[in-house]
Amino acid sequence: MADQPTALERFVQGILPENPVYRQLLGMCPTLAVTNGMKPAMTMACSVAFVLLCANIVTSLIRGLLKPHLRIVVFTLTIATFVTIADRVLAAYLYQMSKTLGPYIPLIIVNCLIICRCEVCASKQNVFTAASDAVGQSIGFGLALASIAMVRELLGTGGLFGIAILPTAWPDWVIMVLPPGAFITLGLLLGCVNWLEMRRS
Amino acid sequence: MNYLIDIVLIALSAAVINNFVLYYFVGICPFIGVSKKVDMAFGMGCAVTFVICIAAFLSWSITTMVLIPGAPVSSFFAGFFLPAEAASKIDLTVLSYIVYIFAISSSVQFVEMYVRKFYPSLYNSFGVFLPLITTNCAILFACLTIMANVAGVENPQDAWDLGRSIVLALFGGIGFTIAIVIMSGIREEIELCDIPKPFQGAAITMIIGGILALAFMGFTGVDSGVRKAITPAPAEGTAAVMTLDHDHVHPWDARVIVKEMRLS
Amino acid sequence: MDDTTSEKRERFQNNNLLQAWLVLTLAFIFGISLAGVQAALGPKIEANKIKETMEKVPEVVLGLEAAQKLSESGEALNIQSRIIEVDKKDKKKFYTVYEARFQDNALAGWVAKAGGQGYADKIELLVGIDAQAENITGLFILDQKETPGLGNKISDTAWRNQFVDKPATSPLVVVKDKSQGPSNIDAISGATISSVAVCGIINQTVSDIGPTLTSTKKE
Repeated sequence: MADQPTALERFVQGILPENPVYRQLLGMCPTLAVTNGMKPAMTMACSVAFVLLCANIVTSLIRGLLKPHLRIVVFTLTIATFVTIADRVLAAYLYQMSKTLGPYIPLIIVNCLIICRCEVCASKQNVFTAASDAVGQSIGFGLALASIAMVRELLGTGGLFGIAILPTAWPDWVIMVLPPGAFITLGLLLGCVNWLEMRRS
Repeated sequence: MNYLIDIVLIALSAAVINNFVLYYFVGICPFIGVSKKVDMAFGMGCAVTFVICIAAFLSWSITTMVLIPGAPVSSFFAGFFLPAEAASKIDLTVLSYIVYIFAISSSVQFVEMYVRKFYPSLYNSFGVFLPLITTNCAILFACLTIMANVAGVENPQDAWDLGRSIVLALFGGIGFTIAIVIMSGIREEIELCDIPKPFQGAAITMIIGGILALAFMGFTGVDSGVRKAITPAPAEGTAAVMTLDHDHVHPWDARVIVKEMRLS
Repeated sequence: MDDTTSEKRERFQNNNLLQAWLVLTLAFIFGISLAGVQAALGPKIEANKIKETMEKVPEVVLGLEAAQKLSESGEALNIQSRIIEVDKKDKKKFYTVYEARFQDNALAGWVAKAGGQGYADKIELLVGIDAQAENITGLFILDQKETPGLGNKISDTAWRNQFVDKPATSPLVVVKDKSQGPSNIDAISGATISSVAVCGIINQTVSDIGPTLTSTKKE
């Protein structure tokens, strides 16, 4: 275990140095699909955080019992269960939001981010490290989603969280809240992040 | 006839109008990862199309036979413990996500074993993609769409049958193949271009994807045109409207059509 | 020799059993927790689904102001849902219709749930019809995925208010030139197809269920 990162390192790594979206290119499907507004993006980030935290903790608890060829099955089973729970809770308490997000909540199951964290961190390290890793990665994921959603919603509708911010003279760039806007925004932001990285080193 | 129209529209919608990759953003990982060479992209597309059809068949069967309230299998087994009235109301749709993901992973496993055993040459060309497919959102997305159209409809009459489900899956897979092959073709050319260093790789792929999505948006609304064209109704011109068969087209529908034609 | 083989076999079996145990136990625990979640939240989700449409019924039947006044005065409409079956040539079509009555059992109107193809995806809407089945009392868009900024203006109150008091006995006509007429609906500029789709759904629904409503009214 000596060469494994500590809990604090895991936590910090998730936020920027190993940001799931910008550095690892994981979990692209929700990143593009639900970032047309801040509200759905934040709901998605919270759901992913919940599933990731629970899945990491459970995986870490049973890591001693895992057999190499059965581990993917166990991961999938765990993730699918927690996604179902998240989906039901959303449908019960945030019905309109769960309708807006539609199939993208169940699609968290096949979000590579979660299965990757289970595999890389939780199946090897103790519960505390796994939990802090999950929290760090979730914050990183949430920040990435927020950055994309902010650009798209601000330019596309002239507001954030549905509240108008830009002057009414602003011509809404409708394209930003449509599918092409998602690709282009993410592409440009990805380029910017790479550029900053290069300048720093 | 109505059925045929339905099938055509589902196919058209899944393949180009609401393209899986460029409209719903599912299957983005291979779209970025495996789109460097056209032949690899095509292999990936074929593998996905094949698996998606099998998964659609499985998920449709499981949903109608086991999961929805009043499904034959679940009510049969519940009949041993419960009165018939309660047994026919058992709703297992809460388990659907778990069931689908297992159906997908096991079908991927079986396809891999089968292809490796019986078609080694085929396996060599696109067998390597098969394990990757399990975590491809496109397949689960197809299953979820089918479930929404089987379990989520208000009238049992509107529920999709097996044919519609398979058509959705098949053409969804074809749409995925179209998108990824176009993408890889562009990327092969992009290799020769002088792209700013920070934008090389994923960033430029995303921007190209955005332009492709913009192009595919041009297909929106094609389905209403196609529906109008193939629905048994006056083809064009006012003369045809006068000979309207009032039994088939309600006069009220026709007025909208007439008014619209005059405008256009 | 025998000892080692039996030992090996035993180890192998133990191994398999252990592996299976882990997956099965997990599946069992998860199954129970899911059943618990479903038992706790299932009724609430069902209630949400029904509430979504029920909430809108007074507004669609009476108009927003009257509905607010009614709820402020503490009264509520009695709403009952029923299914109306319409025989088409090749298939049967079902409509969910909500019958709204005042406290004194006087009929306030009907609200029908209908859906159809829009420009981008399916449009789902509620259309209100008055007690005489002669006028449209309101329109509410439940679900649509039309183009933001153009087609999604079908959800705007201003556009929807055009439908209030339009006759339900003759079909609505979509116009682009703002010309006045008893049944004219002004198209949203840049989104004629969405406007036509909404009017088409309403015309279809009203013509399908109109006869049934008129006959119920007489009873």
